[in-house]
This record gives sequence, structure tokens and C-alpha cells, in this order.
Amino acid sequence: MSVAILSARGVTKKFGGLAAVADVTFDLHEGEILGLIGPNGSGKTTLVNVVTGALPATGGEVRFADRPLTGLPWHEVGRLGVSRTFQVVKPFRNLSVVENVMVGALFGARGGARDLRTARRQAEEVLAFVALDHRADAPAEGLNVPERKRMELARALAMRPRVLMLDEVMAGLNPAEIDAAVELIKRIRDRGITLLVIEHVMKAIRNLSDRILVLFHGQTLTEGAPGDVLNDERVVAAYLGRRYAEAARA
Amino acid sequence: MTTRPAPRRFATIAAAVVGIVLLGAAPGVLSPFMVQFVINLFMLAILAESWNIIGGFTGYASFGNVAFFGIGAYTTGVLMTKVGWPLAAALAAAGVVPMLFAALVGLPILRLKGHYFAIATLGVAETMREVVYNLEITGAGTGLVMPIARTPALFFYLMLGILIAVTLVNVWLAHSRFGYGLVAIREDEDAAAAMGIDTARYKTIAFALSGAFAGLTGGVFAYWITFIDPDAVFRVIVTIQMIIMAVFGGAGTVVGPLLGALVLASVSEILSTHLVALAELFNGVIVILVVLFMPKGLLEVVRAGRSSLRVMARNLREYRV
Repeated sequence: MSVAILSARGVTKKFGGLAAVADVTFDLHEGEILGLIGPNGSGKTTLVNVVTGALPATGGEVRFADRPLTGLPWHEVGRLGVSRTFQVVKPFRNLSVVENVMVGALFGARGGARDLRTARRQAEEVLAFVALDHRADAPAEGLNVPERKRMELARALAMRPRVLMLDEVMAGLNPAEIDAAVELIKRIRDRGITLLVIEHVMKAIRNLSDRILVLFHGQTLTEGAPGDVLNDERVVAAYLGRRYAEAARA
Repeated sequence: MTTRPAPRRFATIAAAVVGIVLLGAAPGVLSPFMVQFVINLFMLAILAESWNIIGGFTGYASFGNVAFFGIGAYTTGVLMTKVGWPLAAALAAAGVVPMLFAALVGLPILRLKGHYFAIATLGVAETMREVVYNLEITGAGTGLVMPIARTPALFFYLMLGILIAVTLVNVWLAHSRFGYGLVAIREDEDAAAAMGIDTARYKTIAFALSGAFAGLTGGVFAYWITFIDPDAVFRVIVTIQMIIMAVFGGAGTVVGPLLGALVLASVSEILSTHLVALAELFNGVIVILVVLFMPKGLLEVVRAGRSSLRVMARNLREYRV
């Protein structure tokens, strides 16, 4: 595996006395898809929030392409080339789909569009890539759930990121839509974008990930190849309870 | 926020130029009463358009923009009467001082959102009134008497000039990267920040721009009306008027606040000459009608043309008041 494009060392986030993320260390290698899983409340979204600067870290350090990210304001992280989607999508409701994506093109990584005409062209390209171009001029509030997820993805892609963090983009999708999303994410990787994917859909995460990182109570439970991690007894126990794991072994 | 086809854009520009030329000739043609009415109309339109920058595009409903108007009025007043500055210099200061003031108070209060921001701005305006009440240099409670200028045409052209400038700023916002940044902040501030927008800087600039134009108008107002006191230039109702005009016409659009100012100022003028009792009720009735039938403003309904009734019915259903 190649060099780490993004590395987190001992990242900790405390809310009052509660450590939502405690001493988490991981590397994101250039060109890979890292799956991030864990039961509800295990700190996955908080980890992404801290890494992308949405929340200040309580401790630890994050580096991206050999520059420190820790302590940078939120928008700076996006401009350096780390984009993310939100678990609960945050569309600009009163704008059209293409205008939503234009904002990403206008303000994303340096070297992006600075005028509206270029931004619109780039936004239309990205919309075609995520197969949402037929809805380009629709108002964003009129989209259904899978379309909203795609628009969220398109906005992040329009920022021309080097690293993209996807927070449960498959939640609420049906099996056919999940298959389409998996294919789309693979095509994003083929564009040279490194991905961190938070997901609860196990079939998708097994299919997609080069490696999987498991969080439990804010700490790293284990990390490794999908086959090993998903059959790990501790992971099964974390998701389904110890007794289920013991029954499965017996 | 859409890019228009070239012929329509040309038609818009041509109409604007013709309109401005006609307006330019107006002071020589209109009756003195009408000239005063139009100056007042311009002032209201400037205030609505300047509020639109922070309240309409950026989505931060300021209830204290009259503070900038008042500071602009007093900047002009103090500089002309106590320091002896000429009008031009005093007016320039009436734009710059409120702009800096807006940037300064904006830094802390623009961190607040929704109702909290509204209350904080209201507090700023009321505080400024009290401060001016208690300062020697502003004439305290007695106010300032300005030199009298018997040239209505001067005020007409000054207000018209500022109105054109603030409208152009709004046009720029509707068609620029900066404007898209403000709208993104209005729609979802977290998503805006995640997408690379320096939200704190953008909001502060929007607030300062808004303050500059409100202040400039206040400066002209002071010289026009020749007498200012704290209650005259820091009235909460002035902010409320800005908001009602902008929202009534269509907040976050270029034409909406202009339309709102034109319709509301005209109706209110007619009512106050013919039906004084109703004039008092007017603003309240407008608020209720807007909330019920056209929460996105008169412009949306006008643009719908023949289907305007259907748009209003849909609004009533959708917002289910």
C-alpha cells in the first residue's frame, strides 16, 4: 500500500466528561476506500466532524498531505481538498440542483471555478457523473431521498476533493439503489479520489472497502481486511451483543 | 439566481436606463409635494435594498438596521454642525462609520442565529439611541439642527444615486460568487462552511455593506430633514418598515424590495391622506396577508402572471397557517 494521504494520531473528542472519540489513530492511503463501521453512537460521525474541522479536537493530531489539519477553520479543510457529505443531508432547499452543485465548484479546492459560467459547466459535468443531470434545474426541495443523496455527493465532488468522506450515503436506499451507489463510489475511486465510507449496509461495505476500521464506544476496536474484520468475534459482539457472538461460535 | 438569456438581460438593462433618465428629469416636472414623496420613496427603497443584503440574501434577519441609519445621520450632523465639514465629506463619513460599526458589532453577534440574532440587533439599535441621548457632542436629547438647504433636487439626486448604487450591489450579489456564498449561508450554514465558504467573513462583509448603505441614506436624511434627534433616527419602526417592504416584495431578490417599497409607500401615502384610521392598521394587515398568501413575496405572485391566484392558493395550503 502506498503513502498515507491523511493520517490521524490519537484523535480525541470529549463532550463534557464523555469521550465520544478516544485516542483514535488511523491512516488513509492514497487511492483506497476505507470503511468506517461501528454500532450507533460509537463515534463515527464525530470522528469525521473532528477530522474535517467541523468540531475542534480535544486532543490528537490530523495531517493531510503533510500539512496539519488540526486547528484549521472548517472552510479551510474543504479548500485544501477534504470534502464530506452529511448523514442528514443538508441541501440548499431554495436553490436548484445545479445551483447547489455550483456552490461546491465555486468554493471547493483551490483551482476550482471562480466565475458562475465555469462553475455551471463543472456542476453539469458532475451531475452527469452521478446520473442526476436530468434533474439539474429542479428545485432541490423537490428531490426524493436517493436523489438528495446523489446531490449531496455531487456537491462534495464538485469541490474537486482529494479525500472524500461519505457519512451513510446509502441509508434509506433500497437494494437496487444501494447497488447503484456502490458502483458510483467505485467510479469515484477510479477518478483518483481517496474515500472514507461510513456505512451500516454490511454487504455494501464488504464489497467496497479495501480496509475496514471499527469503532466501539469511541475507540478503535480493530482494523484490517473486510473478510477478517467482519468475521471478528469482537465486531460481531459489538454489533449484536456478546451472547449472539457466543451462540454463533457454538 | 439564474443566468438569463441575453435578449432578456438586454431588455432589463434598457428598461433600467430609460427609467433612470425619466427619473432624472422628474424634479423639474413634478409638484413640490410629489418631489418630497419620491425622495421619501427612494429612501425607503434604499433601506429595503440594504436590509436585503443581510436579511434577504444572507438570511440574517436584522431588527437593528436603523442603528446604521441613525449613526449615518448623526455622523453627518456632527461633522457638519460641530466640525464644519462640507456635505460631500460628511456624507462619505456617513457611509464609512456605520460600515465599520457594522463590521465591529457583526463579529460577535453574527455568531448568533435566528431569534437570538434578531434580538441582539434590536438591542444594538436601542443601545445606540440611549448612547446618543447621553452624549454632549450629539446634542443629547435636544438633537441637532442642520443648516437648511432649499434644494429639493439635490436630495432627489443624492437619494437616486444611492438607490442605483445599492440596487447594483444587489444585482451583483444575484450574479456573483460572493452572492452564491451568502445564499448558501442562508440556506444551510454548516453545509456552506463544509463546502469551503468562510462564513464568518462573508456574513461580516454582508452586514457591513448593508450598514454602509443604510448609513449613507441616514446622512442624506439628516441634511434633508434639517433636524435630527435620537427618537427620530433610531426608531424601531424604521427597521420594521425595511423588513416589511423587503419581505412583502420578495426578500433575496433584486426587484422585490424595490417593488415592496413602491407599493407600500404609495398605499400608505394614499391612506394617510384619505383614510387616516386605516393607515395605522395598514402595516399589520400587510404582515398577515404576506404570511398567508405570499411568504416568498409579491414578486413570486407577479411573476406567475395569470396563474397568480393559483400560486397564492398553493402558498396558503403549503404553509397551512
